[in-house]
Amino acid sequence: MRRTILALTVLMAPLGAFADTASATIKDIIDGHILPRFETLAAQSQLLAATAEQDCDPTSDALRTAYGAAFDAWVSASHLRIGPSEVNDRAFALAFWPDSRGTTPRTLGALLSEQDPIASSATDYAEVSIAARGFYALEFLLYDDALMAAGDATYHCQLIQTISADIAVTASDILAGWQDGYADTMLNPSEAGTYRSEEEVLQEMFKALTTGLEFTADTRLGRPLGTFDRPRPTRAEARRSGRSSRHVVLSLNALQDLALLLTGDDAALSETLTNRFDRALQQIESLGDPVFASVSEPKTRVKVEIIQTSIDAISADVSAQLGPKLGVTAGFNALDGD
Amino acid sequence: MGAMSTGRRRFLGGLLAAGFMPMPTWADVGHPAFLSAAAKPDGSYVLCGIGADLSVRFALPLPARGHAAAAHPHRPEAVAFARRPGTFAVVIDCVTGQQKAVLDAPAGRHFYGHGAFSSDGSLLYTTENDYEAGRGRIGVWDAAQGYERISEWDSGGVGPHDIKRLPGRETLVVANGGIDTHPDSGRTKLNIPTMQPNLAYVENGHVIETAALRPDMHRNSIRHLAVGPGGEVAFGMQWQGDGPVDALVGLHQLGAPIRLMSGSTDDVRRMDGYIGSIAIAADGRTIAVTSPRGGVVQYFDAITGQLTDSGTLEDVCGVLALGDGFAVSTGFGALQYRGGGGAIRVQTDFAWDNHLVSV
Repeated sequence: MRRTILALTVLMAPLGAFADTASATIKDIIDGHILPRFETLAAQSQLLAATAEQDCDPTSDALRTAYGAAFDAWVSASHLRIGPSEVNDRAFALAFWPDSRGTTPRTLGALLSEQDPIASSATDYAEVSIAARGFYALEFLLYDDALMAAGDATYHCQLIQTISADIAVTASDILAGWQDGYADTMLNPSEAGTYRSEEEVLQEMFKALTTGLEFTADTRLGRPLGTFDRPRPTRAEARRSGRSSRHVVLSLNALQDLALLLTGDDAALSETLTNRFDRALQQIESLGDPVFASVSEPKTRVKVEIIQTSIDAISADVSAQLGPKLGVTAGFNALDGD
Repeated sequence: MGAMSTGRRRFLGGLLAAGFMPMPTWADVGHPAFLSAAAKPDGSYVLCGIGADLSVRFALPLPARGHAAAAHPHRPEAVAFARRPGTFAVVIDCVTGQQKAVLDAPAGRHFYGHGAFSSDGSLLYTTENDYEAGRGRIGVWDAAQGYERISEWDSGGVGPHDIKRLPGRETLVVANGGIDTHPDSGRTKLNIPTMQPNLAYVENGHVIETAALRPDMHRNSIRHLAVGPGGEVAFGMQWQGDGPVDALVGLHQLGAPIRLMSGSTDDVRRMDGYIGSIAIAADGRTIAVTSPRGGVVQYFDAITGQLTDSGTLEDVCGVLALGDGFAVSTGFGALQYRGGGGAIRVQTDFAWDNHLVSV
């Protein structure tokens, strides 16, 4: 198991000048980073649902394009596991991945073979196994050799339309949650509220950044990397639609935006982080491997490992340099999670 | 130790001739009161024996970061587990510092970092993940025969973490944390929406009782255990849900319902949803829990179920009942004891890892 090595000596830093700008930083992040992402997700998901209503052929360009745009919007927001996305497991309903035991294809296969009537409405469909909902389930229906052609054609079409409609409802619920309360909750911390201080709000945002980086390094890259003796290219995220590498890029772009907003006016740290992100993004671009198939060949595998190392280096800088500015301790045990 | 006297050598020779070997005991390694894994300033890892005066009696090298350990009830021998999802554990002879055996998890299993011995020390039990099935297992190892694996039992749930033995009997209690993970996804939690933690009591391979939380608390992962003198099981939880949680500490006894320990909303909140370690006093009256994320130690009255005291200590995690008080450790090197007889504070340059394990 690969773990980022973290400095043991990062101490709680007093919030100095940073506190003066804390509320401005929070507002910038909500208005400039969070809300636009969920607005795009809601809009693109509506478009996906509308497109699926018109054309449910898995090979349709229009459908696949709408799917790709909505999935892009999700990946760009997927690190924001805060508040409205966690209510009623909405984030899981959009994105059940990783699926280590193949629950998604198995559940979809059963729905298709039984023509389960639960797929006749998005409202009912919200009750099915969470593994059969969301973007990863839809990918199987649009791109998996077996599942894109499985079952009765009319039922298959309905399933695509229902999953798309369910995605649209979930995305719109998350946006509504932010617009109708949660943005205010974060903007106005109070003694009785979810967040008692601006420091707590910033720490929540910081956590979204660090867990997002960890997920991209350990899971988006770590799953296909497997071990040297046993690389697992078929475990790459969304490989059927050829989106694995694209997701790493989208997530890094989103995480860079958040990191720089959290950094505020610390020019030196901004520059350090910008260089780190640019380097990782440059490495992915020069790899030129959309599904990380190269993990199987020792010569090319090392390039994927280097990208992972670069993301770990971002995490290390974020923990050691940005964390203390936000009053986040990097304790040996606090970070352990066991 | 000085040269052995002629008389003692003759005595030993006599024992050898008679077929008796005087076995070393924990006294031979300086009477440690407890064990803890740690990271040294140079980044290497050790398993330490620590005396009741909080002095480090030995520091033996470990091949990787440890989590918890299990101390053999009689022999000066400790099993140190790699942290989750490690696939090995090392048995260390605390007299020589040498590895006596290495436990390799069987194919398709990994350890969770905790283990417990049978009362006579002949068997070691380890919590494990059967990760293809997503099912918790208890590995059974023959500690009398070079730690050969001899059996495997169901843990009664998913994601078993801590395991302890009830006093005066061979019943094991397992904290099935409920969280499904698979090594191919690192530590990513795969089943948060559907997780169902429980406490399971296991006797000779059979689950004799399980205790679960009420349904609205199903995202409270039961992780760490401390067993009191009457077989009462105190447990610490880690909240995986969104928003505030009512309680992070509970107490259970075979045949009875779970009781949750309560504090004010603020007190619960200070633990940041995360109990790292738990201990129960020798008389069973007081439960101590730590939160490294909150940097807080809290004490509960096991009878009333109410919070009685708390303190702050940065990156505190390890906690252990010691004498009539509690010892705690931190990732920043502190070892502290507070009891009726007073307080001891020691600052070391070791980063003390999660747990203190009683010898």
